[in-house]
Amino acid sequence: MQVTVHFYSYFKELAGTPQAALDLPPQATLDFLRARVLEQFPRLAPMQKAMLAAVGVEYQPWSFALSEGDEVSFFPPVQGG
Amino acid sequence: MRRELTLTTEPIDEPALIAARTLSGQAGAVVQFVGVVRGSELGAPISGLDYESFEAMARHQFNLIFNQLEKRWPLESVRLVHRLGPVRTNEPSLWVEVVAGHRGEAFAACQWLIDEMKRIVPIWKRPLPPKEDGGR
Repeated sequence: MQVTVHFYSYFKELAGTPQAALDLPPQATLDFLRARVLEQFPRLAPMQKAMLAAVGVEYQPWSFALSEGDEVSFFPPVQGG
Repeated sequence: MRRELTLTTEPIDEPALIAARTLSGQAGAVVQFVGVVRGSELGAPISGLDYESFEAMARHQFNLIFNQLEKRWPLESVRLVHRLGPVRTNEPSLWVEVVAGHRGEAFAACQWLIDEMKRIVPIWKRPLPPKEDGGR
């Protein structure tokens, strides 16, 4: 299945792109996707512990099972205000 | 509870926001908070901050916060404006107004709303160096 990954804030610069499409095995988890993303974009690896993830517009746990066509966002801690 | 959320690249027009305030006969407290951009970041001078958001998610997360506000406190209205894009030092980046029957719930709700925003709403900022917009 294919999912689209979006990067925000300085994760965009570290990844070198605002988004990417990744092929994953069926029912791959968010945790699996994160490992793939860190492999493909190794400059993000030092940020792993601070990384937040959302599927669509909702935060999801790393155990979340992804579906075909999901839009997944990875970003650093938020800083509004 | 009436709610109004504005994410905008335009300057925050405080007099216009205040002029647009509507109160019922039950309102006894209006708490207003204005967050302004500081002139330094980690000790270094800056000319402002450039705000970026994941806007669809930011709107959704703000609405989740407003839902919680409504459950936790008897509020009449909440209005929140957050700037996006470049905001110069001393300009407001955040404007919040909470209207309630009494000051206790209005202060508590306003404080909680801002704390929650800083925890879950996907907005980020990066400092603008002094020379970038004429200096300060």
